[in-house]
Amino acid sequence: MAELLRRLLRTPQGLLGVLIVGLILVIVVCGPSLAPYGPDTMAPRLRYRAPSAEFLLGTDQYGRDILSRLLYGARSTVILACLATALGTVAGALIGTTSAFLGGRADEAIMRTIDAILSIPSLLFALLIVNLLGKSSFSAVMAIGIAFTPGMTRVTRSVALAVTKQDYVNAAIARGERGGYIVLREMLPNVVAPIVVEMTIRVAFSVMLFATLSFLGLGAQPPSSEWGLMVAEARRFMHLSPWMILWPSLAVALVAIGFNLLGDGLRDALNPRT
Amino acid sequence: MNVLEVKGYSLDYPTPAGFVRALDSIDLAIARGEVLGLVGESGSGKTSLAWAIMRHLPPRAREQGDISLGSQSLMAATESEIAAIRGRRIGMVFQDPSTSLNPTLTLGQQLAEVLARHRGLTRRQAWAEGEAMMARVGLKQPAAMMHRYPHEASGGEKQRVVIASAFACQPECILFDEPTTALDVVTARQILDLFAELQAETAVASLYISHDLALVSRVADHVAVLHRGRLVEHGEVDAVFDAPRDDYTRRLLAAVPRPDHRLVTGKPAAGADPLVEVERLSVHYGRTPFLSALAGRRIAQVAGNRAVSLSVQPGEILGIVGESGSGKSTLARALTGLTRFDGAVRFAGRRITGRRDMDRGYRRDVQIVFQHPDSSLNPRQRVREILSRPLTLYGGEARIEALLEQVRLPAAYAERFPHQLSGGEKQRVAIARAFASRPKLVICDEITSSLDVSVQAAVVELLVDLQRRNGTAYLFITHDLNLVRQLAHRIAVMYRGELVELLDIDDLSTTGPRHPYTRQLMDAVPPPREYKS
Repeated sequence: MAELLRRLLRTPQGLLGVLIVGLILVIVVCGPSLAPYGPDTMAPRLRYRAPSAEFLLGTDQYGRDILSRLLYGARSTVILACLATALGTVAGALIGTTSAFLGGRADEAIMRTIDAILSIPSLLFALLIVNLLGKSSFSAVMAIGIAFTPGMTRVTRSVALAVTKQDYVNAAIARGERGGYIVLREMLPNVVAPIVVEMTIRVAFSVMLFATLSFLGLGAQPPSSEWGLMVAEARRFMHLSPWMILWPSLAVALVAIGFNLLGDGLRDALNPRT
Repeated sequence: MNVLEVKGYSLDYPTPAGFVRALDSIDLAIARGEVLGLVGESGSGKTSLAWAIMRHLPPRAREQGDISLGSQSLMAATESEIAAIRGRRIGMVFQDPSTSLNPTLTLGQQLAEVLARHRGLTRRQAWAEGEAMMARVGLKQPAAMMHRYPHEASGGEKQRVVIASAFACQPECILFDEPTTALDVVTARQILDLFAELQAETAVASLYISHDLALVSRVADHVAVLHRGRLVEHGEVDAVFDAPRDDYTRRLLAAVPRPDHRLVTGKPAAGADPLVEVERLSVHYGRTPFLSALAGRRIAQVAGNRAVSLSVQPGEILGIVGESGSGKSTLARALTGLTRFDGAVRFAGRRITGRRDMDRGYRRDVQIVFQHPDSSLNPRQRVREILSRPLTLYGGEARIEALLEQVRLPAAYAERFPHQLSGGEKQRVAIARAFASRPKLVICDEITSSLDVSVQAAVVELLVDLQRRNGTAYLFITHDLNLVRQLAHRIAVMYRGELVELLDIDDLSTTGPRHPYTRQLMDAVPPPREYKS
């Protein structure tokens, strides 16, 4: 583990990724205690302020401090995005490994179904699911999780196919192990490395997809300070104060870039050949 | 006058933990017409020396000493001088002909390229010369062979082409890096004969690298033994074999399997009911695609096994020999339910016709040990978990420590991961896993072929000991005829998926083999020469 971290910090993208994701984690954990004001504290006379010493990032249409709202909103935005990605990853990893293990006709049936689902754009698919489940953060998490599953299944299966050929899987079959044990204990631990890399990259997509859903009014609901929702609300007041839309957009972009860099770094660090 | 001379040469490789010494003050010299055999186990630095001579080392490697070809120092030579020397004055033959030839070029193009590049021939001349070289190395229909791609030629034919291109420019020195290891015994024998013939004719100075002492003793004039980067022994072949000075050489010589030195005493009880009977077992690879089945088309299937019938007595060691692709491993896979098969297996009075019939009892009693311990032990599990699985599945009061002790490993190894063990230790763990369920039959699929000779001897000794104590029957699959003659009670010879001969070990020494293929196999692997210990 320490060796992995050292290898990760040796590459520039890994170092930068760790720094940005570390900063985001700090904000997620202690954001509310760092915030100078409450997220919903209104000041009707101090609306649409540009950044100043009093309000570092300015104020919004109700005079709420944007910095405080961003710090509070990090929790819902980042945690929900990670949750959705984790959901998609676990489901995809299980289906992909099982499919590779079963092989033959069952593999064909599973993978062709996955291909069919994969052909629906993930945003459209997420919209469909949210419409079915109703508007809420929970259904947005489910929607993104399910929308990510087919992609993860493909990635996992391609790695798991190579693992199926290994003799330890043959040895387990010859020993008379159950399929469940072989998939969970023999195969899954050996496909984890590429999955982790794919997952960090997908967290970035997930944050953006989440923001998009909230922007369309299908994810978090006001007065939540979820970043996508903040962008959506600020859109109407863009001409009065461009800062309102700029800051949450930058925050989303930073998270996306951070996780992307971390994923790139991890891919190099986990591959001993580089 | 020495053609190649290595003087006080040391080589260090950079690793994250600092420099690691790969070669330590090596002194070697090869004269014209001489063959120097360089012997060593894996990791001893044999191949590093070959690459050092070819001047193809990682950029950060650190070197000392000198390597010279004739009067020219190779270490002082510039890049362009080296480029002119490689292929022209020093040739190289690699271990695996299937990876050393470019799959996208025809054999003729690759051979002609060498000639055009180093001898300045025109393309037409080079092609004609290449064809002559092909004929020279004993390839039939050289003109047709020139137009073939590597995948259209057999392993032996490809290695002949590689040898042809090494000899093509009449170099002063050729390095042979295990040229026969990837080939079948019969083919390997033919390649060795070709080597001896060409060597005598061209009087090239050869460095013959191998892990196989017996083989080196047949081809080389001088032999050098490399152990952990040091030359521990160097001298004429007869001197080294008759009176080895170094302890390591002695151990190496003692570890070479000798067919007349039987390791197993006694015989399985005659007249007992057979433990396993294999009845006309066939395996076919490749399934008919759905659409072809609908259209009624038949797809030609590859036969892995054709109607193999044999039986194993309780406590018997049945050796199965044959070249690669002869269906030895296919038989092992069929018996453990890893492939579909036709025919039947009779085990403990039950008739098993497919994977579904293999119940818990069968799985417990029939265990398998695979060739590569690297791939048969899950890299993410500790030894404790690996060994505990058969115990949880089949019960048994044995403890992990007792299992480890049985294969002569310290109990502390239970907490290790496979990558923290050496190759021989890993194979011992795999053996311990197979024996954990107290099986009646253990299938050993080439279990020693990825190990070094000295490690192989220890593993074989362990197997014999386990057999004596537990009375387990073995199906011992190997391509090493000398090894199997030390162990087996009976030997089954397989050739192209068929069982061609099944002979008793006593008959083998008295009447000899009957089938011509068996005879060919035995001629290809003469027993190693005697040495005085």
